[in-house]
Amino acid sequence: MTAFKKIEDNLRMEAKNLLESGKVTLVLAYGGGFDEKHPVPYVAKAAADADHLVFNEYCTYNMARYLTRYPKGTKIAVAVKGADSRAVVQLIQEGKLRRDDLVILGIPATGMKNQKTGEVIDARTTASTINPVIFDVLLGDEVHGVKAGSPYDVLAELEGMDKDARWAFWKKEFERCIRCYACRKACPMCYCDPCFMDMSRPRWADKSPTDDGTLMYHLTRFYHLAGRCIDCGECSRACPVDIPLYLFHKKVAKECEEMFGQAAGMNIEDKPAMANFKGEDSDQMLG
Amino acid sequence: MSFEPKILGIACNWCTYTGADLAGTTRLKYPQNLRLIRVMCSSRINPSFIIRGFQLGADGVLVGGCHPGDCHYGTGNLYARRKLAITRKILEFAGMEPGRFRVEWISASEGKKFSEVVGEFTEQVQTLGPQTKFKITKDGQ
Amino acid sequence: MLKKIAIDQFSELVKALLEKGPLYAPVKGKGGVNFQAIQNPADVTLDFYNTVLSPKSVFFPQSEDMIRYRITQGATEAHPVPPESRPAVILGVRPCDVRSFEIMDRHFLGAGVIDPYWKSKRDNTTIIGYAFDVNTAADPADFYNTFGYGAADPEGSDVFMIRTDKTLLLKGMTDRGKKLLDALGLLQAAGGPDEKAFEETVKKGKAVRTRSAQIEPQAIAKKLVSVFDNGEFWQKATMACIACGACTYVCPTCYCFDISDETLFKEGSRKRFWDACTFTDFTLEASGHNPRPRIFQRYRQKVCHKYSYHVDKYECISCVGCGRCIRSCPVNIDIFGIVVDAGKL
Repeated sequence: MTAFKKIEDNLRMEAKNLLESGKVTLVLAYGGGFDEKHPVPYVAKAAADADHLVFNEYCTYNMARYLTRYPKGTKIAVAVKGADSRAVVQLIQEGKLRRDDLVILGIPATGMKNQKTGEVIDARTTASTINPVIFDVLLGDEVHGVKAGSPYDVLAELEGMDKDARWAFWKKEFERCIRCYACRKACPMCYCDPCFMDMSRPRWADKSPTDDGTLMYHLTRFYHLAGRCIDCGECSRACPVDIPLYLFHKKVAKECEEMFGQAAGMNIEDKPAMANFKGEDSDQMLG
Repeated sequence: MSFEPKILGIACNWCTYTGADLAGTTRLKYPQNLRLIRVMCSSRINPSFIIRGFQLGADGVLVGGCHPGDCHYGTGNLYARRKLAITRKILEFAGMEPGRFRVEWISASEGKKFSEVVGEFTEQVQTLGPQTKFKITKDGQ
Repeated sequence: MLKKIAIDQFSELVKALLEKGPLYAPVKGKGGVNFQAIQNPADVTLDFYNTVLSPKSVFFPQSEDMIRYRITQGATEAHPVPPESRPAVILGVRPCDVRSFEIMDRHFLGAGVIDPYWKSKRDNTTIIGYAFDVNTAADPADFYNTFGYGAADPEGSDVFMIRTDKTLLLKGMTDRGKKLLDALGLLQAAGGPDEKAFEETVKKGKAVRTRSAQIEPQAIAKKLVSVFDNGEFWQKATMACIACGACTYVCPTCYCFDISDETLFKEGSRKRFWDACTFTDFTLEASGHNPRPRIFQRYRQKVCHKYSYHVDKYECISCVGCGRCIRSCPVNIDIFGIVVDAGKL
């Protein structure tokens, strides 16, 4: 794998070129924060901004989440790691982005670290996609020969639990939810305006943090991301109280893959699984 | 006095709801625990209805629609099948008893099937007992 | 008055406090250490840097019923929920957080209309402050030195607690605090060396460095107003913000709330609950118009409220430099950095 410092140099160079040539209006990547362990998402607009771009193991942000902020037609370069690139594909599938408006700067990377815990991020908490599935430029060499492991292995414990134990687990986790909506806002696929939680007619969930409202919020979001979640893990890293949302999202992703034969964000020609049906679908899926 | 479950039914207008009517006009008996809601098509069903149904006190939720291939709108129930399948998986992973949620394709002429399914499902839910996991209770739920 | 107790007797102290009434103290959970109403003395921890959420929830809970009602045939019976008034104790509040209560008092009590819910809890709660460990560096996110606070400042606490190697020293700072210490028979009287250790720790606390800047309230208040229209600055400063509510919810001095009637099957309550000015629909009007539709406008509002408008209205900055917002921010936005940069414009 290319060293992070080299990736950073390539990132700065590409960004500078793209902005100078006017090929893009902005570059979505990473910048320095108040210290090295805390980089920030960064929008470079002028060629000089490119000097502020950084890349290190703490650049865990999925920059695809910022893509839907700009009017369609804006020419944007975006730095994406493996799972992040799948978000770009998914957004193109859903018609939120046009492929030719984008210059995708792919970053193959392993050894990314969780900013809070310092733990290495691997298939236990994110997708096993190391190399970007779509890119115009690669900022580092593709990584080959690394056994990423299945992104669903981590589900074994919960799947093996009896249903009452599983309910007790989730009930306890959701008790901590303070409805800050960091999970929703960190997610590249949560671009709905208004979100169902912002609606008052019908009122899907009350604004105050009641247990039932919290459950409705999370279960509905798990459903809304079915076949769309690309397992970047950002929702769980964004959560200020460490709710392991990725476990549920992975489970839904696993079921979608098994039932519908399709993983989210892999090919731009795919139709999103929940907006589609196939001849092979059978009543088996209803149990 | 044995437990009488509250069964929420959501049925599509063209097939299942008509089938329910047929059960009625042909005097077929089925348990009175069912509270039936009519929607125009099974694909109108938002999975949040099912979650909310459980939260509001349903002990079981039964969804009925046209047989795949026979949807009045052509393809509605084909989308619904995927939707409801994922809903089932979500409920199960959250720890809800699988026997509390059922999807059945019941056509307009299947009055007998309707009454049988409702009877079976009600009995099944009765055995499972009152649904307490999602149900909202007073005093901080 | 200085008292003490051995550290390994701490759970006895907690037990004794619990006997007197409700106790709020830090508990280690899966989501970090947070203040909770204590049931079991063994749950309380003193081993933490600072809690994830601030202690404001003890006086200003995230959700609070104000009126309960029942809708019957042709009428609605409603009765107000009286504000809680049982004497309580909050234990383990870091010095910067202790100062936040006085800042909140300014608008909850000193703005013409008295908030009965805040007042009632505030009047009846004894605060046991807890010094930071003066031998450990401050967290890089913290910047409480900016406001003149030290790592072991007793000011604002009713009782101030300092942890030495094997002992907990507790000093009664106010009448209320002294009264509490008197009522805790299990505490021992502290001697000369203990007094010295206490004073030395307070002194050492002043030498603990956090990030700091010369931010004079009136000056920064004026400066922020003067750069309000600098769209380029604000957009650049807030470009990473995802408009969640994490910073607002963890902040000890944020106090915006929304009010809603929440009814189920003809019964319900009118309650107030935390809101966040960073949320998209914070200023969304019934017509559909939103004066602050863009993130930079909302974050600009947040900074200006805390460092400018609050100064105009209440003569102090609505921030204690605890660093929680920075630690909890999913994208590491640094409000301190933004204010310093604005000051340099």
